[in-house]
Amino acid sequence: MDTPKKIKVLYIDDEQNNLNGFKATFRFDYTVLIASNIPQAYAHLEAHSDISVILCDQRMPDKTGVQFFEEMRDTYDEPVRMLITGYTDIESVIDAVNRGHIFRYIKKPWTDSDIRSAIEEANKFFLTNSMLVQKNRELQSAYDELGKFAYSVTHDVRGPLLSILGALDLAKTMENPAELKDILEMMEDAIHKLDEYIKNTHEYYKLKRGQLQFEVIDFNNLVKDIAALFRIAGRMDNIKFISNVVQNDEFLSDEISIKMVLNNLLSNAFNYQRKELADKYVDVGIEVANNVATITVKDNGIGIHESHINNIFTMFYRATSEETGSGLGLYNVKDALAKLSGTIEVASVVNEGTTFKVIIPGKAHGTN
Amino acid sequence: MVQTKLNFIVVDDSKLDCFIAEKIIRNTGISDTIKSFLQAPEALEYIKALPEHQRTIMLVDIQMPLMNGFEFVEAFEKLPKEITDNYTIYIISSSINENDLVRVHTYATVKQFLNKPLTSNNLAVLLA
Repeated sequence: MDTPKKIKVLYIDDEQNNLNGFKATFRFDYTVLIASNIPQAYAHLEAHSDISVILCDQRMPDKTGVQFFEEMRDTYDEPVRMLITGYTDIESVIDAVNRGHIFRYIKKPWTDSDIRSAIEEANKFFLTNSMLVQKNRELQSAYDELGKFAYSVTHDVRGPLLSILGALDLAKTMENPAELKDILEMMEDAIHKLDEYIKNTHEYYKLKRGQLQFEVIDFNNLVKDIAALFRIAGRMDNIKFISNVVQNDEFLSDEISIKMVLNNLLSNAFNYQRKELADKYVDVGIEVANNVATITVKDNGIGIHESHINNIFTMFYRATSEETGSGLGLYNVKDALAKLSGTIEVASVVNEGTTFKVIIPGKAHGTN
Repeated sequence: MVQTKLNFIVVDDSKLDCFIAEKIIRNTGISDTIKSFLQAPEALEYIKALPEHQRTIMLVDIQMPLMNGFEFVEAFEKLPKEITDNYTIYIISSSINENDLVRVHTYATVKQFLNKPLTSNNLAVLLA
């Protein structure tokens, strides 16, 4: 764990002496904020979103502590609320506890150890709660993505299947071999599209669930391997491939993620070419310096229109109906880079080409 | 039954689905012209630019990049009534999402939802 952060405590009391005494006693153990009235307390809450415990005196001129807690919890529901009160107010305290406005109360006059143990307990409660909130947020985003997946499955899986089915039906009645050949080729494309979707889905889950594994990355070999795969698949036909790798230092990173990033960017560069152009090219440049890898992938293809450029990293977003695309590729790229603390930028002009620039910091040696 | 020939417009981002639709429509023998569009905005531009409008059947996919089938229908319904009156839209999709199916019925210009793939049988049924 990192060096534990001091617990941030807000104490509200209309008697300045109490505030001063409190701060003097606890300022070494906690980060203490004090307020002598309600508006001051709100100003602190506004300015410090990381307050974990609030202590408030019950008897104050403009509002009681219970009233304050009751109204502030709508806006600031995360800090744990504790009331400081004398015995005479016990009825209203019981009521407040039962209605969930306060976590516990501290009886006046308090001792240092009363306060200390109450704050520690409250902070534990705060941490557990914040963790739950965080987990719930993660769950919600996982559910949202699952929803998108379920919807996309009908289109991205069922779509190509139904196309093939329709084509088969049609092919049965065809006599002309040339026509038949055309339709077979189109069926083949549909199958590739389906396959690509499945591969991307697999990558997505590998990234989401997998732990990063840091190892020494040799960019020269990596680019050679990936390029060989594209060449074998015939994806480089009639496209000039230029690669320029400058790596003098050792670079530690997660190879699966980096491969995935390069693979997707290159795949897009080879895919979204202008078919009629004679001098099509894809240019990949990688430079490793000061433990930072800078990767640029440049093409002179169809380009991406301004109005789509902000959405290209969105899940299932497709900026073009040209070629096959699952709408997952660049989403996966961005996801992988986020895990590696990397960044990606894109510059593109329609009918001139697109350049992606990726910056990935290497893992520092000797850390784990 | 002597019928005047119909025009067809197919809007689908899948090349194969456009090809299938064109073939099946042509096989019916009742088509005058068939135009396919891989991108919905292009179909819209095409309709807007036509000097005159004849009876036309449109087959429109739902899930398409750039502009989906619903957005296309919404944009289409903004055209003058004397244009839209000439067109009958069928939404044809692989979607089995209930929201999609329900939404289809909210558009005045959409006649019916059709499941993919288009076959000569179900085309014959809707033309009957």
